[in-house]
Amino acid sequence: MSKAVGNPMLLRWIDYNKCIGCGVCSAVCDFTHNGIPFIKLYDIGGGLIKPISCFHCTKAPCIEVCPTKAMKRDDDGAVYVDESRCIGCLACLYACPYGIPELSTATKTSIKCDLCKQLRGDGLEPACVAMCPTKAIVMGMPQVVFDEAKKRALTRIMKAVMSFGGPV
Amino acid sequence: MVGGLAVLAIPSYRIPYDNVVEGVEDLTKSFGVKLYLNTKVMCGERHDEGDDFVKQVVDLRDIAKEYNAVIITTGTWRSRKLGVSGEDAKGVVDALTFLYRLRLAEYGLVKEPWPKVRKVIVVGAGLSAIDAAEEALRLGAEEVYLVYRRTKKEAPAGEYYINDLIAKGIKWIELAAPTKIVVENGFAKAVEFQRMRLGPPDKTGRPAPIPIPGSEFVIEAELVISAVGEVSTPPFTQECAELRQFLDEKGYIVSRGYRLGNTNMFVAGDVLTGPTKLGEACRNGLYAAKDAERFLRGV
Repeated sequence: MSKAVGNPMLLRWIDYNKCIGCGVCSAVCDFTHNGIPFIKLYDIGGGLIKPISCFHCTKAPCIEVCPTKAMKRDDDGAVYVDESRCIGCLACLYACPYGIPELSTATKTSIKCDLCKQLRGDGLEPACVAMCPTKAIVMGMPQVVFDEAKKRALTRIMKAVMSFGGPV
Repeated sequence: MVGGLAVLAIPSYRIPYDNVVEGVEDLTKSFGVKLYLNTKVMCGERHDEGDDFVKQVVDLRDIAKEYNAVIITTGTWRSRKLGVSGEDAKGVVDALTFLYRLRLAEYGLVKEPWPKVRKVIVVGAGLSAIDAAEEALRLGAEEVYLVYRRTKKEAPAGEYYINDLIAKGIKWIELAAPTKIVVENGFAKAVEFQRMRLGPPDKTGRPAPIPIPGSEFVIEAELVISAVGEVSTPPFTQECAELRQFLDEKGYIVSRGYRLGNTNMFVAGDVLTGPTKLGEACRNGLYAAKDAERFLRGV
């Protein structure tokens, strides 16, 4: 079962308002994946540096286009590559609106973030989520993430309009 | 306090203190890490920022004998000097000390971090400079100048953050470098700057700032913050006969890998690489720990 359209149990969201671009997410991802990080930071110009990683789309085009059904979704909703099936054609990269999949020169397959399948198996959070010093990477049940996002936005608004000594 | 620059220098609006505490508690409670606080490890003599909290100094050589492996992650706790006259006057401070005292005040460890000031000059355009400038604004300074010897394009913090500060009310002055600090009764009163122009690339690959003679101008300020870089602070100096072989002439660690020669000591983070962002230091620390673990297993 390829589950191109899934019902994710887990959702990861990067709060770019909180992110300071320190690169800890990428560092711990690099370490847990033997030198290949699946969350990466880019300077989009002028020193504004932020991370990007797989969005684990609910309607994942990479799963739909994969000719060998190597791109799969696990029970938590994470989209991952089954290396034994992948032929490294990178149809997934063509389909991905965010340019996420990469080709591994070692395994000759597509590689991407699997939300730290191994760590999750041990009951731990993905490394990037666990280590972000600003808690900019939020993961949880979808509604929990949506609520957290709105709560953070509301906090920002309230800080601006309700400060002590501000205009009456 | 545990947490290094993330707790003691980087402003809390970037990294909230509680987030670091959570990590520290995880280390002590879940992993059995034992912390020795207020303890400076040193072989040789050197003053670093934060020394006022040191209650005991232990010799790195003793630690290396007592423990099977040592990982050195002492960071960059010294600031570069501007190298101009008047730098020792009251009201002249380096960015690290400026930010450090602000954080201490937040934790209730000092009463008043800095007296209220109207005019502040920050020299430099790296991340410490922009943090110091923004904190100065938050302290209620009316005029905060950020002065850099190259242009916005070369600023280590990046154009985005400089523009963000300009939008917040910072006065940005580029292509100018301090020539002296004007001192009156022991207090800084103003800074004299000289205009620069950009020349051919220097050894860092960036265009070299070249002074323009006769272009001096003066800006008044009650607080002058120098933010022209931090340097690494290894736990040993040239005075340490056993370990000086791992230092270059400037006192920085030279090492091909994370392990210091064939000793049981490993080095990671900014003390090894010079100032970086948290991520790079963190990545270094992880790989150094891996090497140390292999060393302990004897493989």
